[in-house]
Amino acid sequence: MGAAVSIQSLTFTYHGMNRPALRNIEGEIEEGKLIAIMGHGGAGKSTLCYCLNGIVPKFFRGNYEGLVLIYGEEVKGKKVSEMSRLVGLVLQDFEAQLFSTNVELEMAFGPENLGLPRSEIEDRIHRYLTLVGLENLRERQPSSLSGGQKQRLAIGSVLAIEPKILVMDEPTTDLDPQGREEVLSIGEHLRGEGRTLILVDHNPEYALRADQLWLMREGEVVAKGLPKEILIETTTLESCGIRPLPTLELFQKMKWQGMPLDAQSAMALIEKHHLIERRKLRSKVLLQEDSGMAPFIRVEGLRYVYPFFHIEALRGIDLSIREGEFIALLGQNGSGKTTLAKHLNGLLKPTLGKVFIKGKSTLEYTRHELASLVGYVFQNPDHQIFCKTVKEEVGFGLKLLGEDPKRINDRVAEALDTVGLGGYEEKNPFTLTKGERQRIAVASVLATRPQVIILDEPTTGLDYHSQRNMMEMLKHLNRKGHTIIIITHSMWVACEYARRVILLKEGSIAADGPTREVFADENLLSQTSLRPPPLVQLSNWLGTKALTVEEMVQELREESECLNL
Amino acid sequence: MNLFLYLDKNTLVHRLDPLTKILGTLILFLYSLCFNHPLYLCVMSLMILVLAFFSRAMVNLYRFRFVLLLLFLFSTLIWPFFIKGSRLVFSWKGLEVSQESFLYGLAMGLRLSNFVATGLIFLSTTRHEELIHGLIRMKTPYPIAFALSTALRLIPTFVGAGATIIRAQISRGLNLESGSIFGRFRKFIPQAVPLLIYAIRYTNLLAIALESKGFSPEAKRTFYYESHMKRIDYFILLILIGGLLLILYLRIGLSLGAIFPNRV
Repeated sequence: MGAAVSIQSLTFTYHGMNRPALRNIEGEIEEGKLIAIMGHGGAGKSTLCYCLNGIVPKFFRGNYEGLVLIYGEEVKGKKVSEMSRLVGLVLQDFEAQLFSTNVELEMAFGPENLGLPRSEIEDRIHRYLTLVGLENLRERQPSSLSGGQKQRLAIGSVLAIEPKILVMDEPTTDLDPQGREEVLSIGEHLRGEGRTLILVDHNPEYALRADQLWLMREGEVVAKGLPKEILIETTTLESCGIRPLPTLELFQKMKWQGMPLDAQSAMALIEKHHLIERRKLRSKVLLQEDSGMAPFIRVEGLRYVYPFFHIEALRGIDLSIREGEFIALLGQNGSGKTTLAKHLNGLLKPTLGKVFIKGKSTLEYTRHELASLVGYVFQNPDHQIFCKTVKEEVGFGLKLLGEDPKRINDRVAEALDTVGLGGYEEKNPFTLTKGERQRIAVASVLATRPQVIILDEPTTGLDYHSQRNMMEMLKHLNRKGHTIIIITHSMWVACEYARRVILLKEGSIAADGPTREVFADENLLSQTSLRPPPLVQLSNWLGTKALTVEEMVQELREESECLNL
Repeated sequence: MNLFLYLDKNTLVHRLDPLTKILGTLILFLYSLCFNHPLYLCVMSLMILVLAFFSRAMVNLYRFRFVLLLLFLFSTLIWPFFIKGSRLVFSWKGLEVSQESFLYGLAMGLRLSNFVATGLIFLSTTRHEELIHGLIRMKTPYPIAFALSTALRLIPTFVGAGATIIRAQISRGLNLESGSIFGRFRKFIPQAVPLLIYAIRYTNLLAIALESKGFSPEAKRTFYYESHMKRIDYFILLILIGGLLLILYLRIGLSLGAIFPNRV
């Protein structure tokens, strides 16, 4: 079988940039294979995707050298609309990809552009809507769908053009775990149909399913081969900004035989080699903060109904949060996490019930007072950055509070130090990386020294390194006494960093307790379409207390020492 | 949050050919332009309300009630100062308000609200794909029709992003409820800059998505929702044109419905 894609010494530099985004890429992709591409933020993954359907160099211009052949035809010089018949592209941002009034028209758009007869379009809509499982939502407005449904629709609308190759550039990054599963199961299905798939994803667990894995670093493909051969090279992975597989890390650290890539194979290996005894998860771990201290935030019978749409987003929330806690708010999209968090700093006013901060209702505070008690970092830093220098940006809140310039300078420097961007004062925030901009957003909230900091999806869209950096920084802030509340879809982040988990389901609290306890209840989690990360699955199965690889290694070692004594 | 105007209902107005709706909207605009007497315009407003009721677009008029009211009040209060009439109500240092100018102001307020309400009914009952189709049949070049309808389509998206940005800045302590006009203008920058950048980024991605789905302004394309002028469409246009002729006769032939006959 001939190569579907053939790339020959491809180098590309964006117009106005010094460094090439892609360097000397070589590669062939056979028809019908699933290729996973992984790499750190800015490694050139998206640029490579754009090269396949001609967005580069037709839409994004620059210095282009080398050849990209799709079924033997050169991409350069072809119009993107011509290429779209061969190569379909699905982007991470599903909002920008959907622009039609209803699902049916969204599906029709591609075939309409091809000038197909209406009966053929009708056939394709039916066929591909069924494939992506949205046939019964034909009349719905795309904006009213859930994240997973939106991304499925985006995939369907590209499939309707019937491209031979489907390229998906981080299609699951903005989705909750359920949406992620939905999208990936479509990928599996397409693969069964023998379509060529190219998938960019951050998550090593998904890369396992691929026929071939390409690792990218600084514009180069540094490794290429079978996923199970590449994913065991922990150091190479980390240098490419990819989280190593936790089960593998555990086996390596414990010096156990075998290389399990997921929880199931780890369990099988442990049973087979009798590596360790299973037991029942013992004594409940208590909240460390459980002192007599009055809660900093208290929520009583909170209900919230969105005006005009009359959707009840919160249905009676009772909750108290003490100083110094580290909390993760978990739940599916639309479970009310963000709505709840926005009540904690007074951005939303309760329809019924009350939110108290330091014993006083949020309604009795002024905006300024609330901003300096409870800081809120929005998901997308680009929603708030507007200044020419980092200093101005971070000092903005202080300036609004009327602080004097010297004080502002000191506090800005301090906040920047805390987020690890000391010395960035005079830089232009727009030229920084996504991870750095995210930190600027945190610093600008930090500068006013709020006791509580709420972060909406602090790790979404960041690569593993930046995710770690961000979370370590929050841990540091927490140690200094700040209360941290994160809203997250990332289960391992919640497990490794939060000490308390509040699980929301359809506007009510489904569980509220120490992280270990909540994650031990796999039934409850699956009711809210969540699953513990692989290591915690293993930990549940073994009956250990550990939530991270380090903890498990320590726990198992201590135990074996006890036994040896 | 749903900020889109189109309401997916199945009414007579929804089923009309987009061409009829575009022409009909323009004719309704003309209706309101023919008179400058508030009483006559009030009749128009009532007609529009009835139309909104039958096309089930009242929800959107209600959503825009403040805009409609504001336009009406603003116009009613400002116009009288710029028009001179004979029967003075009061005058102060050269500022004059007469009975006629007051009525004229009222009429202009109603006219403006009528325009907006008619436009809202149009957008509540017409998908932007239908608008493109209608415009193309009116011999508008495809790229222009597409750009126009996409612009309309993007407004709600940007309004949504704007709301998020305002929230983000408020939670940093930006107080939008107080300050002088100058102070408020300065507060505009923290909102405008991120929105502008968002808009640029968004339209860029949209363009990539469009091209990746084979969009090409020159190529011949199919319209999945193809509609044709039916008997009811011609009938409705005929009635609307008949109405226009009648109104023109009232205004020009009988000199009715005008406070200032020489003004529009």
